[in-house]
Amino acid sequence: MTVSVNRLVLWFNKTGSPPNFDRFAARWTPWAFATAIIFMAAGIYGAIYSVPADYAQGENFRILYIHVPAAWMSLFIFVVMAIQAFIALVWRIKACEILAMSCAPVGAAFTLITLVTGSIWGKPTWGTWWTWDPRLTSELVLLFLYIGVIGLHNAIEDRRAAARAACFLALIGLINVPIVHFAVQWWNTLHQGSTIRLIGPSTMDPSMMWPLLATVIGTKFWFIGSLLQRARAMNLEQESGKDWVRKISESSANEA
Amino acid sequence: MRLDYVSGAYLVFALIMAWDFIAPRIKLAQVRRMIALRIRRETPRKTQ
Repeated sequence: MTVSVNRLVLWFNKTGSPPNFDRFAARWTPWAFATAIIFMAAGIYGAIYSVPADYAQGENFRILYIHVPAAWMSLFIFVVMAIQAFIALVWRIKACEILAMSCAPVGAAFTLITLVTGSIWGKPTWGTWWTWDPRLTSELVLLFLYIGVIGLHNAIEDRRAAARAACFLALIGLINVPIVHFAVQWWNTLHQGSTIRLIGPSTMDPSMMWPLLATVIGTKFWFIGSLLQRARAMNLEQESGKDWVRKISESSANEA
Repeated sequence: MRLDYVSGAYLVFALIMAWDFIAPRIKLAQVRRMIALRIRRETPRKTQ
């Protein structure tokens, strides 16, 4: 057990060094995106052409095949960002600072998808584009938190100080994640409760489930690809004066 | 089939995902250009 933990720590430290991280990200980004596109294409095809229309919501229920995975990702990414931020603040690991800051735009993108697709679904279903429902409002606060993290990171010139300040905001903002998740249980809301449960039976028919699972897996891989891509750009920018960056830049120029 | 709301939602999804894919690639290209410029500036020119 101790040996495997040590190996994991050693792997993390090796991969976390800027040149190794650059190689790691360059290698795995295309694979992550390719896997994401395969799963999402299958899921979206199933959502639009394979599953039947819902008895109550009709065709509009097909929107939920992108809305639900995006909503889950908006919360999942915030948790990942807060964990990276915590590690970055406590152990001052630069790679974790970069990863935490790279999570924010991807999380903001998924939160925006959640809000807009939810609004489009809400118009024919609830009769309104927007209502100040606790689930919707807390999700909007989540978007503002993501924007706050991005804004704070860009507002301070010293990159390390900027990342530390933004990491602190990410940790404070973590309080909103359980509020978003439990809003449908804590308050009397218009938003429906959980349809799919990790523990206990789901209320969604199994025949309608597989496209959702495919898009859920696809969005997870998309996040990995996007995170690595963004983190690689930030890593190269911060290390632009270092010898290893000069070497890879010169070698790629010679190859071209 | 009433696909107007559905197609609108999927269009929003596609647009935001496309931005998420393209924006960091543009950033990476900018950073690479900046590094290449810096190297060119710092490399002493050959005197004729």
